[in-house]
Amino acid sequence: MTETSVLLEPSTGYLLLALFSALWIGLGFYWGRRNKSFEDHALAGRNIGLALGSATAAATWITSNTTMLAPQFALELGIWGMLAYSMAAFGLILFAPLAKRIRQLMPHGYTSGDFFRLRYGRLAWGIFLVFTLFYSLTWLVTMAMAGGILLEALAGIDYVWGMTVVLAVCVIYTMRGGLAAVIGTDFIQSLIIIVGIVVVGFAVLQNVTVSEIHANLTANKPALVDVLFPAAIMALFNNLLFGLGEVFHNNVWWSRAFAFREGVGSKAFLIGGLVWFPIPVAAGFIALASGALGVAVPSPDMVGPLVIANVLGEFGAIAIFIIVFCSLASSIDSLLAATSDLITEDIYRRLISPAATPERLKSVAQIVTLVLGFGTWAVCVPRIGTLASVLFFAGPLVGAMIWPIVTGLYWRRATTTGAVGGMLLGGGIGLVSYFEIGWFVASTIGTAVSMAWVLACAALSRTQFDWNLLKEA
Amino acid sequence: MTFSATFLETIVYGALIWCGISALGLGALLVRDIARGESW
Repeated sequence: MTETSVLLEPSTGYLLLALFSALWIGLGFYWGRRNKSFEDHALAGRNIGLALGSATAAATWITSNTTMLAPQFALELGIWGMLAYSMAAFGLILFAPLAKRIRQLMPHGYTSGDFFRLRYGRLAWGIFLVFTLFYSLTWLVTMAMAGGILLEALAGIDYVWGMTVVLAVCVIYTMRGGLAAVIGTDFIQSLIIIVGIVVVGFAVLQNVTVSEIHANLTANKPALVDVLFPAAIMALFNNLLFGLGEVFHNNVWWSRAFAFREGVGSKAFLIGGLVWFPIPVAAGFIALASGALGVAVPSPDMVGPLVIANVLGEFGAIAIFIIVFCSLASSIDSLLAATSDLITEDIYRRLISPAATPERLKSVAQIVTLVLGFGTWAVCVPRIGTLASVLFFAGPLVGAMIWPIVTGLYWRRATTTGAVGGMLLGGGIGLVSYFEIGWFVASTIGTAVSMAWVLACAALSRTQFDWNLLKEA
Repeated sequence: MTFSATFLETIVYGALIWCGISALGLGALLVRDIARGESW
């Protein structure tokens, strides 16, 4: 048990956990009543409006990594670190026009895998599935791990028990309610998170002024306020490209593009990105205050909760507990739903049982969600690695998928050779850069290599792709 | 060359106010969608 656990009694932690678990599961069952087919379950009837659409885009992107890693970025990379994290908002903002295009080109589509299969063929589809499943499962694992770490650090709840409860709650309501439950809970969770961050932020500023924070940093950690901090500036580009790659390829976002009502997608992603943009700064500056407040930070990835709990006492501990629990749930549920849809549509329906009924597909998606939950749990139990290293390992892989997707959606001359080579070369060289140079350049290099290959192949190609091939029923 | 205290103050308060406005905006948007029968 850590020092901070005394700030939130385990009984309070269990009470909060029980209350929010009951709320999410209850809503999941309530909203899941209308789901009859796979389309209802996976895409909420393709009829999501602007408010729910905007909120789910923002809430899904507010992960535990936002609320816990943004402060860590600020602690290690200073002001540039917070701004670098905010760059990930451009993933949502720039996906806005793509969402409109996706909905137009693929009115009957279900997953991002459908796009790769129909646009580039089976080899590119296979590579895409390996990359995206690796990334999605990595993301899922980091968040489930974060859940266990948070509950243990704040309330003294055993890591394995905490992680198990967070995961189990999300699995239950996602299985029962599908995307409708995910999007409905996302709206509530996004408001709780944003309001919580504002309240906690202003409460911290009652204890220390920004001028005092700046003076302390200038005296003790001048690199954190340095305009020319090389690693931090590289992180800016890395995060921008990581955000683009993640949003552009992942079925979490594609499933929303398919689920939003006609004409809603582009506005919802734009608003979602604008809602998300200030959050890394609002959550991250708290870490910069640790020195001025005299808070010892033994573990950088816990700096946010440590500062808040130390400065604001039990109120702060409860607030951060709720904020991070909502952040975890809003992302874990989305990943469970989107990944189970991807496996159900791209593997079960396309490779195993093409004649499966919509009702059967819905049941398979629910079973896959359960299996994903168990698999994630099994990987999380040994508690491997830190949050940042596990997540950013996948950065170059997602960066390498940006150009095959963008060119494939807009350019008839984009080719399979370009897509396959771009993903393999970009992902491979990006991974070498990750180990030889550092995480902060891996996505940038992976994306640049992929871009060069994809554009060169398209420039040399005489292919004219028929967009109607994407309209598969 | 370093970031000034004023710059830090601007982005911190700006981000917190921006978040507050976002929350109000999302709430208002949902009320509008429900009133029009377009929430989902």
